[in-house]
Amino acid sequence: MKYIFNFPDIGEGLEEGTIIEWLIKKGQKIEVGDLLVTMETDKVVAEIPAPRSGVISALYGKEGETIHVGDALVEIEIEGLSGEDAIETVMNDKIQEQIKEEGAGVVGTLEVAGNNMIMSGSDEGFDETESADKPVKRKIISTPVARAMAKNFGIDINLVKGNGPAGRVMKEDILNFSKQKTKSSIKQESAKDETNQLVEIEPLTQIRKTIAKNMIASKHNAAHMSVFDEVEISELDRIRKKYKQKFEDKNIKLTYLAFVVKAVAIALKKYKSLNSEMDTVNDNMIYKKYYNIGIAVDTEKGLMVPVIKNADKLGIAEIAEKIQELSEKGRTGKITLDDMRDGTFTITSYGSIGGKFAVPVINFPQAGILGVGKVTKQPIVKDDKLDIGLVMPLSISVDHRIVDGGDVTRFLNTVMEYLNEPVSLLVE
Amino acid sequence: MIPKSYNLPDFEIFNSSNLNDFKIWIPDKMYIVIGRSNNIEDSVFIEKVKEERIEIFKRPSGGETVILSPKTAVISVKLNVKNELNVHHYFKEINTIIISALSELGIKNLNQKGISDISIGNKKILGSSIYRKPDKIFYHAVLNISEDVSLISKYLKHPKKEPDYRKGRSHDEFVTSINKENYMLDNEAIIGKISNSLSNLINK
Repeated sequence: MKYIFNFPDIGEGLEEGTIIEWLIKKGQKIEVGDLLVTMETDKVVAEIPAPRSGVISALYGKEGETIHVGDALVEIEIEGLSGEDAIETVMNDKIQEQIKEEGAGVVGTLEVAGNNMIMSGSDEGFDETESADKPVKRKIISTPVARAMAKNFGIDINLVKGNGPAGRVMKEDILNFSKQKTKSSIKQESAKDETNQLVEIEPLTQIRKTIAKNMIASKHNAAHMSVFDEVEISELDRIRKKYKQKFEDKNIKLTYLAFVVKAVAIALKKYKSLNSEMDTVNDNMIYKKYYNIGIAVDTEKGLMVPVIKNADKLGIAEIAEKIQELSEKGRTGKITLDDMRDGTFTITSYGSIGGKFAVPVINFPQAGILGVGKVTKQPIVKDDKLDIGLVMPLSISVDHRIVDGGDVTRFLNTVMEYLNEPVSLLVE
Repeated sequence: MIPKSYNLPDFEIFNSSNLNDFKIWIPDKMYIVIGRSNNIEDSVFIEKVKEERIEIFKRPSGGETVILSPKTAVISVKLNVKNELNVHHYFKEINTIIISALSELGIKNLNQKGISDISIGNKKILGSSIYRKPDKIFYHAVLNISEDVSLISKYLKHPKKEPDYRKGRSHDEFVTSINKENYMLDNEAIIGKISNSLSNLINK
């Protein structure tokens, strides 16, 4: 059975730490309390002990790498158990444990199932010491009928007091428990409903905290200014359709976004202010000569921005492949910090969901972000004639401290030219 | 240039048999001490340090590079702490004791700033860091009693990380000393007062 140990919060409000030194190796057998890793947060170096015994099956992160609180740190294979067999074994296991009452020492010995051995990464901080007021799973003797009834009624048979021989749980015990449960649950539910009908409270996840912090940092530190426009992309669509199948044969999905990334990367080379950041500490402008395009990805956990590095040097196929790879990583929760580092400009493509225009929030301290809206057929004027065109709405936000209105408009025009005449992307 | 492992006198208490202990030490000469993950090239003007043959040590705790000199005091505290991962509150606890001691000597406008600094106004007089083992924490701090702050700029580069309240200020603008703030206290008075206060913590 695998147990993921996440990087715990070792500082007040600190969100990340640097791996200084791994003190264990993959495959190494460890005991509870053995030292796993030396981590450094601001001003504190701490050696993190193992919360469980077992064998190290994976180390997440290299020495010198910075990771966030809540990120996976190590994976421990709890010995002798694996997969579903492990869960079943553990559930059926009978372990003699001394049950301690909080602050009152040992008060008794009960036969309990080792349910605290089944845990996921989210069980971080699980209190190993059972307190006497928590439900305890006892070894239960019951009739097959009672067990089946309990299952049908959704009753945890461990909670039912047996009145049969030797405390065996009988059919009648389940029926009585069911009646009591119904009465008490009606009372509890009605009280709970009154409290909860107006609001639902959920604790903030680490990723939501990070998103909130970054968004506020952007709004507080950058002078947001936005420009909107539309570009006709029938030619791009024709090319995309022409090569779509060839790409699919290679398991690559050719999307409009791949062309947008390429167009942006090349345009950034012409307008360096859009690929820069302001260093207010030293009163410098930092113009970056590498073009790493962040792609805002809508994942179940929240917004993430993995980065396509050196996008200016990649072909459309490579960009499409990279987008696919990063999107997949986002969906499956496998995006790493390295995937999200060093972006110089960001693209947010919400068109597949539906919006046309937006005012995107800059991924601070970058200088700009481009929003790509839903592509639709629209009436257009072409050669003084009314025609049907395929139109892509674009919204760009820039930090007006860095980028002037003229530059952002010229930059957007350049991107639009590339998208309108995609062959020019190949010529550049 | 390779830094030496930290074995300056205050580190004795780390391995002493006392569960809780403290030591205040006045360095016999100038030393440079870099943080656990600092490297010399990024932190120190190497040529200058080589020229003046200043020894460089790497401490086990975090934070940025500091200078120790006979005009500074190194305050170290070891506390027996078990099963406690979050140890940042010890900065607050120990720094509060030091602030109280300095206040009793008449120093005003003392604050805790950043993660673990003590300042007079918005200028730093003490920086601290912690090294945590599973069974103990080792806090150590450098208090600038009367050292000329221009020495810092002479040997140390601008740090990679800085607290918010530093706001990009150079070493000279950011750091001060107790004497420079017009409190003409001698080493003995300061050490005596802080020792008394820390004794209470250790014996608590």
